[in-house]
Amino acid sequence: MAPEMRTRPVRRVVTHAADLKSFLLDRDMDPVPGQFALLWLPGVGEKPFSFSDVGDDFLEITVRAVGPFTRAMMGVVPGDLVGLRGPFGRGFRIGTGPALLAGGGCGIAPLRHLAGEMTRRGVDFEMVLGVRTAEELMFPDDFRAAGAHLMTEDGSLGTRGLVTDRLRELLSLGLHREVFASGPEGMLLAVRDLAEQHLLDWQLSFERYMKCGIGLCGHCAMDGTGIRMCVEGPVLSRSELRGVTDLGLPHRDATGARPRAMSRDRGTRC
Amino acid sequence: MSTAAPNPLRTHLAGITLESPLVLASGILGVTASTLAFAARAGAAAVTVKTCGLEPRKGHPGPAILPLRHGLLNAVGLSNPGVAAVVEELQEFRRRSAVPVFASIFGRTEEEFGEVAARMAEAQPDLLEVNVSCPNVASELGQPFGADEAAVARITARVKAAAGAIPVSIKLTIHCPSIERMARVCRDHGADVITAINTVGPGMHIDVPTARPVLSNREGGLSGAAILPLAVRAVYRIRAAVDLPVIGTGGVEDTDAALQLILAGAHAVGIGTGVWTRGAGIFQALRRGLEEHLAGRGLPDIAALRGLAHGT
Repeated sequence: MAPEMRTRPVRRVVTHAADLKSFLLDRDMDPVPGQFALLWLPGVGEKPFSFSDVGDDFLEITVRAVGPFTRAMMGVVPGDLVGLRGPFGRGFRIGTGPALLAGGGCGIAPLRHLAGEMTRRGVDFEMVLGVRTAEELMFPDDFRAAGAHLMTEDGSLGTRGLVTDRLRELLSLGLHREVFASGPEGMLLAVRDLAEQHLLDWQLSFERYMKCGIGLCGHCAMDGTGIRMCVEGPVLSRSELRGVTDLGLPHRDATGARPRAMSRDRGTRC
Repeated sequence: MSTAAPNPLRTHLAGITLESPLVLASGILGVTASTLAFAARAGAAAVTVKTCGLEPRKGHPGPAILPLRHGLLNAVGLSNPGVAAVVEELQEFRRRSAVPVFASIFGRTEEEFGEVAARMAEAQPDLLEVNVSCPNVASELGQPFGADEAAVARITARVKAAAGAIPVSIKLTIHCPSIERMARVCRDHGADVITAINTVGPGMHIDVPTARPVLSNREGGLSGAAILPLAVRAVYRIRAAVDLPVIGTGGVEDTDAALQLILAGAHAVGIGTGVWTRGAGIFQALRRGLEEHLAGRGLPDIAALRGLAHGT
């Protein structure tokens, strides 16, 4: 049974940019990389976020301002009370490596957690991270120190190009056994196709509109098989994704309807 | 069990054949054809499409569903993509599954109940379930219709007129002066089935450190094991009052709870919050539990238990 929500003060705020901050909270749960929690900002609302790091005594959540809730989060200072319930869903299943981690935009957050866990377990990995421009990257110094391949669309940091550009090069070396990815759905599908070309296993972390977090409302379910991102997902492997029919399509909205026109990934789980 | 053996859990409800009494209640996993198919694969003998109205509704913002020690408090606010989209999902489900499908509907006005019923009837659901009892939209829609016998009478008649040959169930709330009288009103105006009960309350949960109600709607309906005795009593009283089949819903999380509702007189048992507490495996678990109970008591079928509590 999912635990009850508990409010606790924000202990520390790390400002990466005016619209990108990390919040450190007292730890009272044991999330696996890729799992997520629902964050309640009193008087504002509740949204799902994966963890960007989990330490001995803290949970870290990284938020980019993309909508009303996340913009309100930018005003949160140490000592403010926020609520958290979770962890929800199934996270990444860490194997024996060597692994290739691919992250784009907001999807980089859970890969920081995953990389930390792989390091603790001594699992060999390489990491490719992509953002549009340098100031969209959280913890750039940490990632640089960890030897991550950094890509920007405008060349303001690391190499100009896309995550998949570097991924293609690295995979052609034949050094990796599986690929973990988190980011916009278009990137995930491109990563999947590359991994398939190289006959590698893969795990991808998906996003859908989420309401209850506990498998009841059905809003975050994928079409085709009805698997729920908050219970069976959000991290899916080849066999788990089989039969899903809505990949790359616009996501269902708050009413449960699927928009007819293509729209940009909104991605608040950052 | 050999495949030729009769299914002791088979249940007949207003002309619908159910492979067990265990049905997916409204509001749970009922958003899309795929989630309904997911529940059908998990073993639900019928699935109920989440309540829909004439137009799309976003419902209340989060937090809308709050797990508590005693159960769930929810104020989803009837979010739904509107009847036109739901008709498409229902037809898609039909193409994919032979499991009976119930369609739950609501209206902002009495007239709208009839209108939504007529639109929904085009999709030919096996049953139309009329939600006159959602506690979460009162501020916007006035008091729930479910407390007003005259309104329920008119809504029942309107939906019946629009439904054609499709059987109609009225989903009642316990928050009415007399549930027996309300059940008679439904029967007298053409209802074929009664569903009882909806969530109870509304209730409120206040977060102590922030001194704030947590639900964005501040209050919401309570579900889960805590409301089982309320459901059992309601079903018992309805069965004593009218000779209509009842879908007993409320707090069913184990076999014993399902049996209590059947002993009180329910033909079918709705499972909602139990999908959270027990996971989607609850349908198979309770199916096995009911079979074992029948075998243990040497009874031929589930009908032998129905309403048994009235004879004592």
